[in-house]
Amino acid sequence: MAESSKRPHSAPSLDPRLTHAHQLVRKADKLTTLSFFNWWPDWTQATPLYEQAATAYKLAKMLEEAKTCYEKAATGQERLSSPWTAGKHMESAGALAKELGRIDETVVLYRRASELFLECGKAQPSADVLGRGARAVEDESPEVAIRMYLDACAMLEEDGREQMAFDTYRAVVNLYIKLNRFKDAAALLVRWGQAADKCHATQSQCKAYLSAIIVHLYDEDLKQAQQCYNDCSQMDVFYKSDQGETAEKLLSAYGEESSDEIKHVVDSSYIIPHLDHMIVRLAKQLPKGELKTIFPVEPSDDKLNEDDLT
Amino acid sequence: MSTIDLLKRVNGIIEKYEKYDASTPKERPANASQDYFMKLYRTIEDDLNDVLKKVEEVEHERNRAVIATLNAEVRRSKAALRLELLKLHKLAQKKVKGVIAEEILTRPSMALALAARIEEVPDGVNAIRKKNPANGQPLEIRIDNYSPDDIMRSGAGREHSVESKGFSDEYELRKIKQDEGLEAIQQGLTTLKDMAHDIGEELSRQEQLVDEADTKTDQASANMNTTNSRLKESVTAMRSSRNFCIDITLLVIILGIAAYLYKALKK
Repeated sequence: MAESSKRPHSAPSLDPRLTHAHQLVRKADKLTTLSFFNWWPDWTQATPLYEQAATAYKLAKMLEEAKTCYEKAATGQERLSSPWTAGKHMESAGALAKELGRIDETVVLYRRASELFLECGKAQPSADVLGRGARAVEDESPEVAIRMYLDACAMLEEDGREQMAFDTYRAVVNLYIKLNRFKDAAALLVRWGQAADKCHATQSQCKAYLSAIIVHLYDEDLKQAQQCYNDCSQMDVFYKSDQGETAEKLLSAYGEESSDEIKHVVDSSYIIPHLDHMIVRLAKQLPKGELKTIFPVEPSDDKLNEDDLT
Repeated sequence: MSTIDLLKRVNGIIEKYEKYDASTPKERPANASQDYFMKLYRTIEDDLNDVLKKVEEVEHERNRAVIATLNAEVRRSKAALRLELLKLHKLAQKKVKGVIAEEILTRPSMALALAARIEEVPDGVNAIRKKNPANGQPLEIRIDNYSPDDIMRSGAGREHSVESKGFSDEYELRKIKQDEGLEAIQQGLTTLKDMAHDIGEELSRQEQLVDEADTKTDQASANMNTTNSRLKESVTAMRSSRNFCIDITLLVIILGIAAYLYKALKK
């Protein structure tokens, strides 16, 4: 065959499959491209051909061709009014784009897959695919990944499935901590607590609030930590829980300005080791920075009183 | 035309005629590209208005978890705005083309006013919840009515002999060992409690999924039953007509054989 003579380096066992794949793609292209003789694209016949070719290319590790075939198969399935299969193909195309190292294309493909799942009316797989896409790109473009994760969380919350969003929240918090964006991490932890409150997952809620307070303390912001604790302790669930007690002990240790006391609270606590491992790592490093910088010197009120003659 | 094609056509038409859309206001202030101060000022003001909207939501909200989240968001936005303000203060000093000198002099005070507005924004419940002293007492578990100290005290007035000293030392040692053991038990129990809570949460999470899978399987089996009965009907219909044809063919053959035999016997 003409194709095998052009590829002297391929393994002989793969060659017939590859040539078959090439044939399938050519046939499918002929069916779908409009020309003088072809007025309507025949996606019903072309789509299975594209799918077969894509699997063959993927086995042969020819990622570029496999990705193109998956994209065309997805378009075909869309035209055949089956957005579910189209979404699945788009996701495979996205995974291949990630392996090829094209991050922008990966993001686009995964978002398109998520939209297709939404067309089916299925929010869970749509959010799942966004989460997987975000994980794929989080090393190279963390901002985009954060956006995708937050969109997935919002989608699940709209659908009333907050419990499924916990894993996504965890991933975003870990990403924020990696990027040293502690304020954002703490705000998101409180939001996670709210989602947990909605579905009565008290354990996760209390853990989330305690983690938020620890993150504020790691960020050397005692005032924020105190305010966060005040806000969260308005909820009975947290106030009476072990996590609430640990938070109170920690804040009172900070109030005494003794780093030994703080370390003792962290080390002897049985609650802190059960938090997420990134948070535990932060907690073990408390108190961070000089305690003097955390406690700003308040201007003493005595002088004012002396001068105040009223 | 399927829904997807409809959607695509609608999007295409919207894109084509977007420029005629009168609802989007277009601002073209003079010297917009040079005046970074006013741009930043406007951005900060917009962000501040968003924060104030959130504060309003807090006032109307009853759910405490939502209040906590909104307050956390407000605090985070305030922190971000404070950073932006530093830039604004620096820009306030710069001279800009096309802006009169007096206006440039007012800019630092504008920046300070904005800073004051940001600080004024309320961000959180300031009431510290006092722990109810009655709840603060841990539960005391008593195994029997005598406390070891009572027993020790009852022997007061007697002197320690060597043996009794040894006993009291052993008592102290054992007491310390028991405390250590109890601490280990406490740690184990806390871990177990944590794991049990997590298992409970995971189960309630899975419950929802299992219920959905259940409904879907019920639907699928109902579909199967309908399909099966329809298939049965069509197969019986086919078979009966086939049986009928077979019967007739066989009858014809038998009659043919009978006629042949009759002819053969008649001869």
